[in-house]
Amino acid sequence: MIQIKGLSFLYNDSKEPALNNINLQIGEGEFVGIVGPTGAGKSTLALCLNGVIPHFLHGEFYGEVKVDGKDTVENDCARIAYSVGSVFQDPEAQIVSTRVEDEIAFGLENLNIPRIEIAARIKESLEMTGISDLRDYSTTQLSGGQKQRVAIASAIALRPKILVLDEPTSELDPKGSLDIFNTLQKLNKEYSITIVVIEQKIQLLTEYCSRLVVMEKGSVLLDGPTRNVLANQEILQKIGVNSSPVTRLAYMLKKEGLYQGEFPINVEEAYLVVSKVLSEKRR
Amino acid sequence: MIRLNNLCYQYKNGNKVLKNLNIHIKSGEFVAIIGQNGAGKTTLLKQLNGLLKPSQGTINVCGLDAAKTKTSILAKKIGFLFQNPDHQIFCATVYEEIAFGLKNLGISHEDIEGLVNRAAQRVGIDQYLKTDPFSLSKGQRQRVALASVLAMETDVLVLDEPTTGQDYSEGLEIMEIVKDLNKRGKTVIIVTHDMELVAQYAKRVIVLQKGSVLEDGPTEMVLGREESLALSNLQPPQAYLLAKKFHKQGFFKDVYRVEEMLDEIISYLDGEENACNG
Repeated sequence: MIQIKGLSFLYNDSKEPALNNINLQIGEGEFVGIVGPTGAGKSTLALCLNGVIPHFLHGEFYGEVKVDGKDTVENDCARIAYSVGSVFQDPEAQIVSTRVEDEIAFGLENLNIPRIEIAARIKESLEMTGISDLRDYSTTQLSGGQKQRVAIASAIALRPKILVLDEPTSELDPKGSLDIFNTLQKLNKEYSITIVVIEQKIQLLTEYCSRLVVMEKGSVLLDGPTRNVLANQEILQKIGVNSSPVTRLAYMLKKEGLYQGEFPINVEEAYLVVSKVLSEKRR
Repeated sequence: MIRLNNLCYQYKNGNKVLKNLNIHIKSGEFVAIIGQNGAGKTTLLKQLNGLLKPSQGTINVCGLDAAKTKTSILAKKIGFLFQNPDHQIFCATVYEEIAFGLKNLGISHEDIEGLVNRAAQRVGIDQYLKTDPFSLSKGQRQRVALASVLAMETDVLVLDEPTTGQDYSEGLEIMEIVKDLNKRGKTVIIVTHDMELVAQYAKRVIVLQKGSVLEDGPTEMVLGREESLALSNLQPPQAYLLAKKFHKQGFFKDVYRVEEMLDEIISYLDGEENACNG
């Protein structure tokens, strides 16, 4: 679904490349989390997926990015928008309409979708994101989490195969953040939309994503199934990427020589790990 | 240090945001204020710096009646660091940025230099004093904003979501600096959604729910109040939830940090070993 080969990008006026020889293949229906310290190139990578780079932000672009079979250099942003939907940090910054329904219609109108079709798409995308009841709401009276779900609904109204989100929960409280990830999970499982999400909240990433990509200084440092990536605790801690408390506990037990095995990603799994540690010693 | 008596606040449209708050914060405390979006946390902070005046009740900050004191006077007593450093940074160099508030207070040039240097050193940005703050990373800019607040040498430091929008190590650096300041006697009030951060740093937790105080007590007590936290859509830290799963079997006391959980496991295993040897 996404093919990135030898991608490097250097912003104009910049000396260091923001991306340095990125190679990444993401298949249809994957739910991929991207994590890394500030300045790792995560946002730049997201902008390469929706065509903003190289079409609007200029610089030296090397390599190849294909989304849904479309080369992002040869296709303009409007055409890429049919394949890749984008959602950013601050929902306020992307909402332009006063009513939820109009907000979702906005992108569709821009792409000259017929009126009847637009009505159907609004209904569909509200249902998919679980906010059908908000259809007639004013966008100003929504909570942060609701606004962000409206932004997601607007993005998927174009029926993209890929959804790219850059820190979609950074302005939200824990409940709002959880709502977003539950929505993403639904879109991923029920509609097979490929999800690529940049996120600092590591507990959410580890519980929802099947694959983690760790970036540092413009490169991909680690890439694999979430658990395998979390197994690299020394590297993660060295570059300043946090892990869930339960994952860190398993790592501490490992260092004490008390545990060998997979890293837990939630409290239930950690319970099994600790139970095992206790019972093995007892025998 | 800070005392709220029956404090109420309602916006002009009649919306009651703060209801009958009675809070007393003593010198040297490290208090976390938690609660979901819309609980009234930000409105409460605005009472502390005098941007909003109570509709009813009183608020006393460092011996001053905040309702009757100019914000510029309160600014000498209580310093604020906000979520986004870029909302409070506007000078051309880091030095000017840190010196700005001091100049407004009419402090002499020589004294300002000393205060700026001291604050910059405290947060580890003294090598950037001549740099344009916007050429620094976001984490460094947050430290510039913190230095500007520290230079005022206020007794109280208030931080509104200081780690949001920063990566993990940047957030950690800020919190370690704040922890050290608290150790040296500064009163710290932090507003956050991050329960792991609360468990790690705060000594007292206040849960605001729809404008009222739902819980107020030592961190260890409040973080175990699952029902109250659930009302605010918050969850206890993972270490607490994990330890609790073993309570039925009679293992482990309540813990809030994974380091404590590790200690519990190890001391349990040591106990088992002793029992076997004995």
